[in-house]
Amino acid sequence: VTAPATPPDAATAWYVYGIVPADTPDELFEAVRGVSGSPVAVLRTRDVGAVLGRVPLSQFDGDALAENLRDAAWLEAGVRAHDAVLEAALGAGGVVPFRFGTVYRSDEHVRSMLGAERMLVGALERVRGRIELGVKGYLAAPAPPPPSAGGGEQSPGRRYLEERQRERRAAEDEEARRARTADEVHARLAALADDARANPLQPAEASGRAEPMFLNAAYLVARDHEDEFRQAVADVGDGFGADGVSLELTGPWPPYNFVEVER
Amino acid sequence: MNAQGRGAGLPAVYGGREPAQLADVLERVLDKGIVIAGDIQINLLDIELLTIKLRLLVASADKAREMGIDWWQNDPFLSGRGQNGLEDRVKRLEREAGLGERDPEENERQR
Repeated sequence: VTAPATPPDAATAWYVYGIVPADTPDELFEAVRGVSGSPVAVLRTRDVGAVLGRVPLSQFDGDALAENLRDAAWLEAGVRAHDAVLEAALGAGGVVPFRFGTVYRSDEHVRSMLGAERMLVGALERVRGRIELGVKGYLAAPAPPPPSAGGGEQSPGRRYLEERQRERRAAEDEEARRARTADEVHARLAALADDARANPLQPAEASGRAEPMFLNAAYLVARDHEDEFRQAVADVGDGFGADGVSLELTGPWPPYNFVEVER
Repeated sequence: MNAQGRGAGLPAVYGGREPAQLADVLERVLDKGIVIAGDIQINLLDIELLTIKLRLLVASADKAREMGIDWWQNDPFLSGRGQNGLEDRVKRLEREAGLGERDPEENERQR
């Protein structure tokens, strides 16, 4: 059992990013800085290693934390640092990402967590040698329907109602087309992955794209198959291209979407 | 941030990841990943996350509602919020039905 550099004093705590195999070298994290800018180390037990770094207790305790979570700049820096450490951990045999903000007061507390949470070993086994790839799909709106023909006999009121009805039907059709496309694309990609998740769609403000998102999915892929999967995403995107589909691939990510366990 | 450290010491294949979009990082780091009991519990996430997500992901909640964006109401993590979401939904439905500006009691009588 190796103890990382300096144990926390009363003013600091261990922030745990995730779990890696016990044989993961500290050097993997040499270049990365964690939450609060602190260096990252591995605290090992016989079976697993906890990837961790010191954070000031004052930022994670009680009211201060509530305050910080409302501070968009603090939160962005925090989640990006959390992700950067876990991205570095992709260089290990496998990594089980923890949720943001898992903090312990001492080495002993981290060790007793590692000892108590036996399912971490199984979780690590399931993601060993695998990465997560994200796929976001966008669907361009179809050409607007032609304006209603003639209708000179109809009253303006009736014409208005029919126009509205047509619009509503077009919107329903478009929604159905979006759902159908999502099912088809997701099924094809999921068939090539070890596991797959379809997540809630992001709004245009978050995606930065004008076309509506129709798919926001994550796929668990063996590292050795990453290139193959990338090619498959390109091929599926091309295949649906005529329908106005474009696919965006992100990652490799630590397998955030594939570590939930039965408690 | 941490740009200087990205990729160093990793196999070449991990060196070239594009800087991730904040929304993609947020939904993973705050909503996914394994939840283990720590000494300090961020129960606050349950309470605060809706506000945080809205502020970061959606420039203006009102604008989003006008555009009919309601993803957070379908988010299992956030749907437990109850009152606010319901209120927004009712308001939107009323607006769509052209009842938005009226007195709620009158709306009731109309139905």
